[in-house]
Amino acid sequence: MRRSARAPGWTATAYAFAAILTVLAIGPALWLVVGAFQSPEAELNTLSGPWTLANFREAWREGGLAAAATNSVIVTLARAGLNVLLAALAAYPLARLSFRGRNTVFLLVLATTMIPEQVIVVPMFKIAAGLGLYDSLAGAVIPFSVSAFGIFLCRQAFLAIPQDLEEAAWIDGAGSLRIWWSVMLPLATPSLALLALFSVIGAWSDLLWPLVILQSEDNFTLPVAINRMLGVFATNPRVAYAASVLAVVPIIVFFLTVQRWLRPELFGGAVKG
Amino acid sequence: MTSQTLHRPWTPWLFLLPALLVLGVFFVGSAAQVVAFSFTRYSAFRNPEFVGLQNYTTLLSDRIFWSAILNSFLYLLVTPALIALSLTAALVVDSGIRAGKPLRLLLFLPVVTPTIVAAVAWRLVLNEDSGLLNQLLTFLFGWAGLHEIRWLTEHPFTLFSAMMVTAWKGFGFYMMIFLAGLMQVPASTREAAAIDGAGPVGTLLHVTLPALRPTIALIAVISSISALKVFDELFVTVRGVPANQQTAVPYIYDLAFEQGAFGAACAAGVVLFCIILVFSLINLRLSAGREA
Repeated sequence: MRRSARAPGWTATAYAFAAILTVLAIGPALWLVVGAFQSPEAELNTLSGPWTLANFREAWREGGLAAAATNSVIVTLARAGLNVLLAALAAYPLARLSFRGRNTVFLLVLATTMIPEQVIVVPMFKIAAGLGLYDSLAGAVIPFSVSAFGIFLCRQAFLAIPQDLEEAAWIDGAGSLRIWWSVMLPLATPSLALLALFSVIGAWSDLLWPLVILQSEDNFTLPVAINRMLGVFATNPRVAYAASVLAVVPIIVFFLTVQRWLRPELFGGAVKG
Repeated sequence: MTSQTLHRPWTPWLFLLPALLVLGVFFVGSAAQVVAFSFTRYSAFRNPEFVGLQNYTTLLSDRIFWSAILNSFLYLLVTPALIALSLTAALVVDSGIRAGKPLRLLLFLPVVTPTIVAAVAWRLVLNEDSGLLNQLLTFLFGWAGLHEIRWLTEHPFTLFSAMMVTAWKGFGFYMMIFLAGLMQVPASTREAAAIDGAGPVGTLLHVTLPALRPTIALIAVISSISALKVFDELFVTVRGVPANQQTAVPYIYDLAFEQGAFGAACAAGVVLFCIILVFSLINLRLSAGREA
């Protein structure tokens, strides 16, 4: 959207704001990178050396970072994969099949968005523990393997698909599962990709639930491990800085790879409801 | 309706089953239990025992609980900051400058950053002795005796510190919603205003901002709901501060998982739920308005 008539100085103002916002957005993270590469005797919040990789080694060896990174990858992939799969499955009948109770089910699903995880964390912990999920990666995954938001997003996408495509497949003798897989899913790719993107970002960042459900260090995800390091290495916070840098790099790389799916117009629909 | 009334009667339920199972057990089940447990004395070491409203009366006379609720309301101050930042960002990205697209990507990076990493980075920036922010304040206002604000230990600065992390991590997300909103403002309307002689500032004030009013309302509500649910930012950025400097969710976490008082934590959860519900209902009304 390019404005045809632009007053002089307008562009300069925009660039000045752009520069300030850029510094604000990446400044703190870059400063953390500086801190992570400084040796423990260097003064905090300076640009002086000596520079070292020792913090990374320490985080890797003593902080259990290798295990935490593996766990985070497993939990994140499982959560994102299940979120897309279960939401896309549930959204199909809600968008396209007629059956008794459809509206009730949809309203109930929407109602769960009104229940914040933070409010119900205690009973959720007891239920998960009762199912044998305490201190297991499955426990970090299963309760958050689907969300009402995801179902809503997929339903919106399916509703936008023209019905005659489906009818053609139906006449060709395709069953519901077949139509879901080969007609609905391919045509809903932008929304499914956005859901996957949100799920990956959310799962990679999640602290509260893994903190509650994971007990042994071998099972920690990256945020829980970094939280532990802040306590254990209180005298050398640079270990936690190094771990934080290592935790942010994969997600940035992931995001830059899939960023073409991040389109503002999808956000309009995504936040409704 | 659709041609698909031909499907078998249980087909829809097979599609729905996995999702309903997870939501039913973990969300609906927990929601029911949080209410039930709130009326019991229940700890990590004993089974629930019905005590009526005792948890609630104890909470009401607990000063720490009240300060947690008060701090949660104070935390809503992050909402105007978020709106200002994200709206500015959206207007700059949408201003027609050539760097618009890369800037949009760049400003989204904090959204992708795990909250704990954001918190650790800001702990460094907010370090009381050497942090960049205190250095900057000393440089700018040192002559007025302003330096070394206790960002990580002293109330209410600890709240502001956590809010900075929330604002930093969140504004790129709301920027995208504003950009979606800006797409609804037809370029032709803005061009017409420009042709009518409105300068960029005039167009902004009289055309763009009024058209964005529904988006601003929406973001105000959803960012308020997130603010009431804040945990990571306080738990990590200002870790170890006394209980009376915490907001509601860290308070609940502490009550349940440090002190083992499950029943009382559930009662506090129910109170927080009621507060959030008010905002959720406003959100529903706004959504209904948009659909109409």
